Amino acid sequence: MAANKGAGPQVIDISKLNLEQLTTLKNQLDQELQFFSESLQQLKIAQLKFNESGECVEKLTPETKGKEILVPLTSCMYVPGTVANSEKLLIEVGTGYYIERDVPGAKDYFSRKIKFVTEQMEKIQKIASEKSKLREGGCDLVCFESQSF
Amino acid sequence: MGPGALQKKLEEEVEAYKKIQKDISKTSGLRTQLDVQLNENKVVKEELDLINEENVVYKLIGPALIRQDLEEARQNVSKRVDYIQQEIKRHGNTIEKLEKEAEAKRENIAKHQQQLQQMMMKQAAK
Repeated sequence: MAANKGAGPQVIDISKLNLEQLTTLKNQLDQELQFFSESLQQLKIAQLKFNESGECVEKLTPETKGKEILVPLTSCMYVPGTVANSEKLLIEVGTGYYIERDVPGAKDYFSRKIKFVTEQMEKIQKIASEKSKLREGGCDLVCFESQSF
Repeated sequence: MGPGALQKKLEEEVEAYKKIQKDISKTSGLRTQLDVQLNENKVVKEELDLINEENVVYKLIGPALIRQDLEEARQNVSKRVDYIQQEIKRHGNTIEKLEKEAEAKRENIAKHQQQLQQMMMKQAAK
């Protein structure tokens, strides 16, 4: 069954498929769309987080140096402290690596990340809408064929 | 071969085929995981390439952030990227091989099924 649907550049005329194959194709497209919408959600969350981090960095200006802050030690315990260094920031870049950067460098990092995530979201959005159209077409054909019985 | 023995052989082939399918999906899953790791390491490599000596690099080893030399960190990540790419290639080859085996098994099963059907028809005709 898997061999009939083909993959990659092979073009299949869906009007030539019979009802069973159409239903299988529709189910496969449903699954793919589900996966895409989950990925989009995750990307959105990542985008929000990067946005938030970027805004936090904006707040960290040279004036904040020496200001009093509350430092979380655990999820319910905070300890008063002062901002010691408002120039150097530690950014987690992945696989356990942390890089120290200054404020403009950090802002640049976050804006790059946000741009990257937004690009990926647009890519997925495009593919998802194509698949959605294919699924609609398949759905219509299924209805049409089941009516003609 | 009598129909009973043929039936048994067919069942064995189907079992073997199912096992190959399971192996294929396991290896596929590993490969996808490796892809994710590769992307993450590529991102880290890009970041490390962007900074210069005055930015300090730390690595999280257990609960401690240990300072790393920039060159060393870059080399480590490069090596990891190369290693993961090799692993992905290896898994890709395994999947290809398994799929060829699965294809051969599929044909075998179809052949046996046909033989069994013919035998059944002959018996029914008697």
